[in-house]
Amino acid sequence: MPSFFKRKNVTKTRYNQKSGNKEQSPEKKPGSIGFSLSVNLDIIKQRTGNSTDIITRHVKIGPNYGLKTVVVYVAGIVNEQFIHDFLIESLMKDHFLQEDLNLENAAEIIVDDLVALSSVMQISEWNQLLLSLMSGDTIILIDGLDKALSVSTEGGEKRAIEEPGAQVSVRGSRAGFVESLGTNTALVRRIIKSPDLWLESMKIGKVTKTDVAIMYINGIAKQEIVEEVRSRLNKLEVDSILESGYIEQLIEDQTFTPFPTLYNTERPDIVAGNLLEGRIAIFIDGTPFVLLAPAVFVQFFQSTDDYYARFDMATALRLLRILIFIISLIAPAAYVAVTTFHQEMIPTQLVITVAAQREAVPFPAFVEALIMEVTFEILREAGIRLPRAVGSAVSIVGALVIGQAAVQAGIVSPAMVIIVSITAIASFATPSFSMAISARLIRFFIMISAATFGFYGIILAFIMLLAHLCSLRSFSVPYMTPLAPFILANVGDTIVRFPWLDLGTRPKLISQKDNIGQGETMKSQPPENSGMVTANTGKGDGNES
Amino acid sequence: MGMNRKWAFLFLMLACISLVSGCWSKKELTDVALVSALGIDIDEKGRYVGTFQIINPGNVAGGMQGGGAGQGPSVSVYSTTGNNIVEVSRRASTKISRRLYYAHTNLVVVSDELAEKEGLAAIMDAFDRHPEFRTTARVVIARESSAADIVKTLTAVDKIPANKVIKTMELTEKRWGEHVKTNIQEVTKDLVSPGKEPILTGFRMIGNAKKGEKMENVQESALDAILQADAIAVFKDDKLVDWLTGETARGTLWVLDKIKSTGISIDWQDKQEAIAYQVVRQKTKVTATMKNGQPQISINVQAEGDIDEANVPVNLADPRVLLRIEKALGKEIEKEIHKSIQHASQHKTDIFGFGEAMHRSEPESWKRMEKNWNDEHFPKLKVKVNVDAYIRRTGLRSKPMHFGGHLRVGPPVGQRVKAVGFSTPRG
Amino acid sequence: MEKARISAYQLFVLMYLFQLGSAILIPLAIEAKQDAWLAILVGMIVGVVPFFIYYSLYQYYPDILPTQYTERIVGKMFGRAISLLYILYLSYLSARVLRDFGEMLLSFAYPETPLFIANALLMFVVMYTVRKGIEVLARTGELLFTLMILLAFSGLLLVVFSGLIDLNNLKPMLEEGLKPVIKVALTQTVFFPFGEVVAFAMIFPYLNHPKKVKVAGLLALGLGGTGLALAMAINISVLGVDLVSRSQFPLLSTIQSIQIASFLERLDVYFMIGSIIGIFLKISVYFYAAVTGTANLFNVKQPSQLAYPIGIIILFLSVTIASNFSEHLEEGLKLVPLILHLPFQIILPLFLLIIAFIKRGKGQKEKRVQRESAPRRGEA
Repeated sequence: MPSFFKRKNVTKTRYNQKSGNKEQSPEKKPGSIGFSLSVNLDIIKQRTGNSTDIITRHVKIGPNYGLKTVVVYVAGIVNEQFIHDFLIESLMKDHFLQEDLNLENAAEIIVDDLVALSSVMQISEWNQLLLSLMSGDTIILIDGLDKALSVSTEGGEKRAIEEPGAQVSVRGSRAGFVESLGTNTALVRRIIKSPDLWLESMKIGKVTKTDVAIMYINGIAKQEIVEEVRSRLNKLEVDSILESGYIEQLIEDQTFTPFPTLYNTERPDIVAGNLLEGRIAIFIDGTPFVLLAPAVFVQFFQSTDDYYARFDMATALRLLRILIFIISLIAPAAYVAVTTFHQEMIPTQLVITVAAQREAVPFPAFVEALIMEVTFEILREAGIRLPRAVGSAVSIVGALVIGQAAVQAGIVSPAMVIIVSITAIASFATPSFSMAISARLIRFFIMISAATFGFYGIILAFIMLLAHLCSLRSFSVPYMTPLAPFILANVGDTIVRFPWLDLGTRPKLISQKDNIGQGETMKSQPPENSGMVTANTGKGDGNES
Repeated sequence: MGMNRKWAFLFLMLACISLVSGCWSKKELTDVALVSALGIDIDEKGRYVGTFQIINPGNVAGGMQGGGAGQGPSVSVYSTTGNNIVEVSRRASTKISRRLYYAHTNLVVVSDELAEKEGLAAIMDAFDRHPEFRTTARVVIARESSAADIVKTLTAVDKIPANKVIKTMELTEKRWGEHVKTNIQEVTKDLVSPGKEPILTGFRMIGNAKKGEKMENVQESALDAILQADAIAVFKDDKLVDWLTGETARGTLWVLDKIKSTGISIDWQDKQEAIAYQVVRQKTKVTATMKNGQPQISINVQAEGDIDEANVPVNLADPRVLLRIEKALGKEIEKEIHKSIQHASQHKTDIFGFGEAMHRSEPESWKRMEKNWNDEHFPKLKVKVNVDAYIRRTGLRSKPMHFGGHLRVGPPVGQRVKAVGFSTPRG
Repeated sequence: MEKARISAYQLFVLMYLFQLGSAILIPLAIEAKQDAWLAILVGMIVGVVPFFIYYSLYQYYPDILPTQYTERIVGKMFGRAISLLYILYLSYLSARVLRDFGEMLLSFAYPETPLFIANALLMFVVMYTVRKGIEVLARTGELLFTLMILLAFSGLLLVVFSGLIDLNNLKPMLEEGLKPVIKVALTQTVFFPFGEVVAFAMIFPYLNHPKKVKVAGLLALGLGGTGLALAMAINISVLGVDLVSRSQFPLLSTIQSIQIASFLERLDVYFMIGSIIGIFLKISVYFYAAVTGTANLFNVKQPSQLAYPIGIIILFLSVTIASNFSEHLEEGLKLVPLILHLPFQIILPLFLLIIAFIKRGKGQKEKRVQRESAPRRGEA
C-alpha cells in the first residue's frame, strides 16, 4: 500500500504544476468547459464516441439537493472502490458539510471537505478534462459551473510485483518492475530514500499520451545529460509509445548500429545502482522495462550478482562473460576459417578428426555453418512464439533434428553441431538480452568475412567492430568508457570488479565531478595479533606460562 | 540520406567482395589431401622420386562418420618423379584427386642414397621457402631402405606411420639418447653455419617391404615390417658421410647437450656392465678458447641420476662406494664423448658446433679459421673433457640381494638382461 | 582541423603501436647481425633528436596543424608547397606500409589472393575508422593496444617456455666493433621506424594537455624501441642470425617454431593478429595525417569527405609502387631513407624550426636574428 500513496503524491505534483499554469491563462477560450451540465455531458459523449465504458453517475448535492452533479469515469482504469467510498458516498451523504454549499463555493467545498482522496484539482479546458478522464481520474461536473473537478482515482487491475523474467539473479532483491509507472518509481524510491531523488513526468505520444518519467539523483547526475535527456524526450512527436523500446530507438545517439546504446532493465536494484552512478532512469507506463542512460558497453556484461558476490568471483565471472561474448560472435566464423583457410593452424590430430567428419558432408563448411546457424535461429524464434504447452515439443524436435538426424544423414558434421551448440549456449549466457541479440546479427557478418578471407576477414571484421564501438556515444558519453578513453579511476568496475573498498569513484564521464562515492576510512581494522589464534585475552597465546 | 548512402556503399562493397572473390586461397577440407609424410628418393636418372603419405581421415578417426574406422589403411601412398621438389609435388596432381597440403607434413624422409650423392641443400630450399611447409617438420634419413619404404610401411598402435616415426624418434631421444630429433629449421641452420654440421636420425625398415604396405601388417601381433630408429647420420657440408651408432652416437648427444635421460652401465669388480646408472638430468657446457694460437675446446658435463640396477655385491648404502661408482661413471661418459669426437675428426666434420663456440668466444681468431675449419682446424682440435656424474638415489633398495645374504646367484653373464633405461616408479 | 581532443595516454598508445607497426615484422637492422637489437636501441636514442624537432615546432604553434604553421614560417607559397610535399610523403608512406602488409599476407597465408583485394580490405577498414576522426582512431588504438600487450606478453611466455631461446646466438657481441651498429642505426633505424613519428606532428595539436606531449612521446619512443629490440633479440636467439637475415618475416618463423606440449603449436594466428593490428594503426595514422593535412591545406570543411578519395588513391598507389616484393624492399631500405626520410624527417623540419626560432627571437632580440639568419632568410 505505501507504494500507492507515494504514487499519488507523484501525480499530485504533476497536476498541480499544470493547473498552476492554467489558472494564469485567460478564461473562456473555445476549448473551455461550458456552464450547462447537459451540454458538457453531450460534449463528453460526442468526443468519446459514446464509448460504453464511460460511466456517468448523476447525483444531486447541496442543502436542498439543488445542485445537479455528475461523476464521470472510465470503467476498468479507475479504482471503483475508492470512487464509491470516498467520492460518491461523501457527495451524497455528508449533508452536514454541505449546508453552506452553493454554486459559487461548490468547487472549494468539494475539494476541501467532501472528497477524501488525496489529489483533486480544477479543470476548465476540455482537452485537459479528457486527458484526465482517460488517465483514470474521475471527473466531477456541476451544473452551472464552467469548471470540472478531477479526482485522482487511477487504479484498476494491476499485475503484482513478481520476480523479473528476463534478468534473474541468484542473490538480491526478488522484486521486478510491473506495468504501472507509479509502482515502478515507488520501488526505486523505497531503495533510495533521499530527497535528492528527483522525478519529472511528461506525457509522450499524441494518441497514447503515455506517462513517461525521468528519475535521477540531483547532485550526482550530470546536469547536461539530464538536460539532454529531457530535451530529447520533449522533442518526440509520435503517435504512440507502447513500450520502452520506442523511446530507446527514438532518442538513441546513433540509429545505424547493432548495439544498444540505452540499457533496459526490469530490476529496481539495477536502476538504483545506476542512479547512484549518475545515470538517468526513464520510466514508461505500461512496461516493466526501465531505460537507463547513458549506457556504456561494459555495462551490458555486468549483472547484479557481480556486486553482491565477492570481488574475485565477480571478476572471474565478468571475464568469463567477455569470453562468452567473443565465442558467441566468432565461434562459427572461426570454424569456417579453420576448415576452409587455415587448416595449418590446428593440431594434426584435430584436423584429421574434423576432416573425417567433413568427408561425408555435401556442403562447403560455410554453407554448413549457415544452415546450422539459421536452423538454430528458427528453433529459437519458434521456441519463443510457441505456447508453453507445445514449447517442449520444439526442443525435442530441435534436439533430434539438429543433434541426431542431421548428423546421421550426413548433412552436417558433428563438429559443426558442437560449434552451434556452444554458440547457442554462449549467446544465452550474456546477461543483457539486447546485447545478446546484437551478437546474433554480427555473428553472421563475421561468418561471411570468415568465409571469404579466413582469419584475415575475421580480424578485419573485429577491428571494424571495435572502431564502430569506439565511435558510438550514448548521450555524448563514449560507449567504450572507461576502457577507451581509458579512465584509470573507473577501471575497477568494468570487465573486472575490484573490492568494494577500492571502488571509491563514480564513473567520471557520467556523474558530476568531485563526487566521491565512498569514504576512505571505512576499512575494517582486525585486531593486530589475531594471526594464528584469536587472542581476546590480550596476553597472546602464551598465557599459560 | 548520408547515412543511408554510406551503409548502402558498405553493403555493396561487402557484397561485391564476397561475390567476386570466389574465395581465393580457399580450400575445403574435402578438397585437400593431408600429406603426413614425404619421402624423397633419387632414381637412376638422377631425378627425384617423391612419395606422399596421404592421410585417409575416415580410417583414422573414430566416430559416426568414420564408420569403417580401422577397416581401410590409415594412409594412402603415391609416388611421382620430377627434376625438383616442386615439380614432383605438382605432378602428383595426375595421380591424386586432391590438392596436396603440406601444412601437416610432420616428417620428411630422405633416402641415404640421395643424401650421399646430391646432398640436402638442394631439397631443403623448397621446404624452407614454401609457406605451407612447417619448419618444425622432422627430417630423417632412410638407412639402407628407400625413403619410399619408410613412408609406405603401415604401423600399428600409432595409426599414421609418420606419427609413429616421429614419436619413436622423440621418445628414444628422451629415454635412450642415441638418436636425435631434428627439424627442417635446425637442418637449414646447420647447413648454413660454417661452425656446425647437421646430424640426422636414420630410420630403417626391418622386414618385408611388400608385406609392410598391406593392412595385414597391422593385423598381426608381430608385425612383418617395422620402422626402427637406427643410427645417426653425419653430414659434411650437406652430404651424408657416415653413420654413428651406439655409444658413439650417444657421445655426440652428450656434447650437444641433448641427453635428457639415458642408461649407462659400468663394469664393477670384473663383472662387465654390472651397475646400471640412469641419468635423470645433465648439463653440458662447451667452451672454446685459444691457447698459444691453437684452438682448444673444453667440455664440462654434469650428470645427475640414480642407480637402477646392480648385479654385483656392492654396498650402495656406503657413500664412499658411491663416490667410486661416480668416478667410474664419469670415465665411461668421457670415453663415449672421446669416441664420438674421434669419429667426427676422421670425417673432418664438426657436428658438435665447436666452430660456433669458437665464433662466440674468439671472434677474431674465428675469422681466420672460418674458411677451412672443418678440414684443417677441427681434426686437430684439442678437446678436454671433464665429466662429473652424481648419484642421487639408489632406488627402493640400498644393497643388492647378492650382498651379504646366502643367495649368491647373480644371473649368468650370458642371460643377463640389460635393464637400463627402466624408469623408477617415482618418475 | 576537426574539433577533437585526445589524451596524452592515447597519443602514447598510438605512437607505440605506430612504431611497432611494420618494423616488428621485418628483419630490422639485420645488417648489424647479432647486434641488430643494439642497433635498434641506438637508433631509438638518436631518434629522440627528430622527435624533439617536431616537438619544438609544436611548442611554437600548439594550436595549429603543420600545414598551417609552415605557411606562417616560410610564407604562403613556400609553406603551401612544403605542406603539399608532406601530404604526398605521408600518402606514399601509407601506401608503402599497405604494400608491406599485403605482401606479407600473400606470402604466408593467402598466396592465390590478388594483392589488390587483400590491400583493399584493410584499406576499407582504415578508411572506415579514419572517417570517424582522430578520437575514434585513438580509442580504437587504446583497445587494440591492450590486445597487443596481451598477445606480446603471452607470446613471450610461449617462446620462453618452449625452450627455444638460445642466448648463444646473440654472441659474439660487437663482433665487428661498434661501427656497423652505429652505421645501421644512423642509416636505417633512426628513420625507420623512429623518425617516422613525423606523422604525429599532424596529431600533436589535438592533445588536451599539450604539456604531456613530451612525456608521452619519449615514453612511446623508449618503450617502442625497447619492444622492437627485444623482439629482434628473441628472433635472433631463436632462429640464429643467418635464418633471420634470410627470412622475410622473422617474427613469423619464430612464432611458427613454438611447440609446447604438442598442442600449443601452429600459432600463426598470433602473428596474424599482431601484424594486422600494428599495420592497421600505422596506416591509419599516416592516412589520417594525410587526410587532415589535405583538408587543412585546401580548406575542406569536413575532412571525413576526403577519406574515401585519398584512401582509394593510396590503395592504387600501394599496388603500383613496385612490381615485386624484392623491388619494393630494395626501394624501402636503400632509396626511401635517403631520398625521402632524410629530407622530410630531419632536414625540412630542422629548417622550419630554425626559421621559426629566428622569427620568434626577432621580436625579442633583434641582434641575434640578424647574425644568424641572414643567409637562410635569403634562401626562403
